[in-house]
Amino acid sequence: MNRTYSTALNAVMVVLGAIGSILWLGATFRSGETYYFWGIWLIVAAAGVYLVRYTLENGRDELLALVRKSLRSVVVPVMGIVVAILIGGVLMAITGYDPIAAYQALFYGGLVRNWHISVLNAAPLIFTALSVAFAFKAGLFNIGAEGQYYLGAMGATWASLYLGLPGIISIPLVFIFAALLGAAWNVVPAFLKVKTGAHEVITTMMLAHVARYLSPVFIRANGGDPATSLHPYVTFEILENNMLPSFSQFMEHANYRVHTGILLAIIVALVINFLLYKTRIGFEIRAVGENKDAARAQGISVGKNIFRALLIAGALAALAGFNQVNGLDHKLFENLQAGYGWNGISVALLAGGNPVGVVFTGLLWGMLDAGGQFMSRTTQTPSAIVEIVKGIILFLVVARYIYTAISQWWKRRKQKQTTAVAAGQA
Amino acid sequence: MAILETRHIVKQFPKVLANDDINLTLQEGEILCLLGENGAGKSTLMNVLYGLYKPTSGTIVLDGEEVEFSSPRDAIDRGLGMVHQHFMLVDTLTVTENIILGSEPGSGPVIDYKTARQQVKELSERYGLQVDPDARIMNLSVGLQQRVEILKALYRKAKILILDEPTAVLTPQEVEELFAVIRTLRDSGVSIIIITHKLEEVKAIANRVYILRRGRIEGEREIADVTKEELANLMVGRSVVLTVHREPHEAKPEPVFTVENLRVLDDREVEAVDDLSLTVKPGEVVGIAGVDGNGQSELAEAIMGLRPATSGRILLRGNDIEHLTTRERINQRISHVPADRQRFGLVLPFTVAENIAIGYHDRAPNSRGLVLDYAGMEKQAEELISSYDIRTPGPLAPAAHLSGGNQQKVILAREFSRNPDFLLVNQPTRGLDVGAIEYIHSQILRMRGQDVGVMLISLELEEIFALSDRILVMYEGQIVKELTPAETDEREVGFYMTGGKERSA
Repeated sequence: MNRTYSTALNAVMVVLGAIGSILWLGATFRSGETYYFWGIWLIVAAAGVYLVRYTLENGRDELLALVRKSLRSVVVPVMGIVVAILIGGVLMAITGYDPIAAYQALFYGGLVRNWHISVLNAAPLIFTALSVAFAFKAGLFNIGAEGQYYLGAMGATWASLYLGLPGIISIPLVFIFAALLGAAWNVVPAFLKVKTGAHEVITTMMLAHVARYLSPVFIRANGGDPATSLHPYVTFEILENNMLPSFSQFMEHANYRVHTGILLAIIVALVINFLLYKTRIGFEIRAVGENKDAARAQGISVGKNIFRALLIAGALAALAGFNQVNGLDHKLFENLQAGYGWNGISVALLAGGNPVGVVFTGLLWGMLDAGGQFMSRTTQTPSAIVEIVKGIILFLVVARYIYTAISQWWKRRKQKQTTAVAAGQA
Repeated sequence: MAILETRHIVKQFPKVLANDDINLTLQEGEILCLLGENGAGKSTLMNVLYGLYKPTSGTIVLDGEEVEFSSPRDAIDRGLGMVHQHFMLVDTLTVTENIILGSEPGSGPVIDYKTARQQVKELSERYGLQVDPDARIMNLSVGLQQRVEILKALYRKAKILILDEPTAVLTPQEVEELFAVIRTLRDSGVSIIIITHKLEEVKAIANRVYILRRGRIEGEREIADVTKEELANLMVGRSVVLTVHREPHEAKPEPVFTVENLRVLDDREVEAVDDLSLTVKPGEVVGIAGVDGNGQSELAEAIMGLRPATSGRILLRGNDIEHLTTRERINQRISHVPADRQRFGLVLPFTVAENIAIGYHDRAPNSRGLVLDYAGMEKQAEELISSYDIRTPGPLAPAAHLSGGNQQKVILAREFSRNPDFLLVNQPTRGLDVGAIEYIHSQILRMRGQDVGVMLISLELEEIFALSDRILVMYEGQIVKELTPAETDEREVGFYMTGGKERSA
């Protein structure tokens, strides 16, 4: 196909997708508000443009193959979600709650009524999940994303308290500073891994606790004062120029708290996807992750790539902290409490380690959290049910062999039926 | 009398017809070989017999009675036993425990170990399969583990024993012992099917042989009246040259590659390469013969910079490369075909194209600047796929989906296409079938014809003799003897390989 056509379609797709995402993510659902649906339609249209371009470039067979491949990759998570929801329903019925009302509340709350909270929950999860997923690709388990997240939050707060440049310069500087700090936090685990073979699961987890308990010290030094009831466990508010723009600045009706961190998260996810699958660095990291002996035999340095992977993972987790401080809270609380570092592991596993998949599973996780709160508030169903559903989803998705077993059983059954039919005819 | 018979067995996999109308009979008390290249459908057929796969159509007749197995359990109950290529044993349990696992004697939850031990002992004595019933599997050699597998089948009263590539993991000595055991088993009434792709073995052990090619039976022969050449031709489907023709080729006098007084430690910090020196000239193949574990792999790793040398020099075109990293050595046009292709040669989940690019992924046509150029990578892969005759669905198929021979061709394509000055080839044909071996040998000789210095490390003397211009015998980390193929024979090389000393004055 003509190259200019291809580029043009690409541009159309990007524009549609970007505008759609902004409208959808920034929408607040209230009567008369139509951004929400407009956003969804534009995203669907962008996907349509992509498929058209793909067909024009590669032909129909390739398109079918692509559709089949992507269906196959989502069938396991989707089945996991459906089954988990069913089990959760049974659980509610047994314990005396109305599952239909509860789920209605869950989805109404998560997808519609409190959609903005879902989006707010999703942004930091996407960052930490990207961190975990990226390390996975190098065969590493960055279980201590929580620690790098705290470090990023502290770094972002500190820089944002004192950096008084115009936002357009200042915010990127804070962003970079937080990322560097997170990366630096992983230098020690990376060094120990390469030089002594100390397992990163132990070292990053230990350092996560260190980071967690550094934060009170940091808060005391930057405004927190337990002697007053006004600012006991929280820093001063950061300078206004360092706050991420909120959607309400350019979209009417948008909830005032929803900030552009989610867009940043999506952009970073795309960048990480590009880095992993389109660049030499990503190629080397993946080669080391899949088979470090073969990578080494081809002259790829295993140690260097472990360093790269852990440092980039640290930076990504730290950006979750940046997102919370500069986007949402505008100050650092002693108890961030959300456990985004730990939950990021779940989100990354659910996405099978795919950076783009992480955006969707992050939104799903955020939606379940927001919807769960709404559900327990309106129907008095304990929100622990949502935690159970999430646990079952993760279990079903990670334990892929369950799916394999079911599909094999299905095949056998079909085979038996056909042989039975054949025997009947004979 | 036919004890086992398959009638028109067809097994269709999603894209592959693995077995196509297979009719074979196994007579009571005979040794039957199933010969075929990798991917010919031998293992599929045996898995159908053993109840692991259900045939798409066709029937299995056992003792004159039509049977249908829905799991190996059924097959075992009807007297079939199978010894897989990869043993199914629990390392930490004893021989007795492994043998009785799944059909323990005794009542209820209590296992009668005394009876079990007695039974295992009797069984091993009756069939001449000596093995200590109380030894733990992890302490047994591979050959003994195989005996345990055979005992396991006999314990379950197998009348028919299927052995899948039984000699693949054995030393020549152990092969002899195994064959003795198989003959004893036959004489005591067990019928045996052996799956193999090795012609010598078929000649040595079988009574009768079926040749499988591309899922079909190509022929059935009595061993007494068939030659190795005929078997090879049936198996590959064309005439095969069992030893490739070697054109005489004058090597250039100036060595391209030199090792001087090299010392290398192995993983246990023991000296594996001990003051070793050698030279390789452009346009010659230097064969390193030796029994496995005499320092060959450490030597290869030291040459590639994967293992540090404690002393000595490695010279390429006269320049010392000992201080260079692996990447720098690759950039100096050293190519390396590693012994363990799946561990060191390929990244299995990567595509064929990516596997061809790896190592040179930092330059055209594989990348532009920091960004990979997938189009260029695939174009190059497509060219190499056709020039090296790699059987793959395409450049984007994962390397893991290819057969062993084609995986090796991917490595060959990658390494040979980089115009090396020096080529290190380590066990290039291990586990491959005749057709692939022939091809790989001819490619190695082609490199020699292009004045590449080739160093061939191999455990197979046949291979050393087929390819080498000079043979260096390696024993305990040293080159103990240099021989010329024309003036020596396998017996003499074998003598030096096992530590034989020259009778000098």
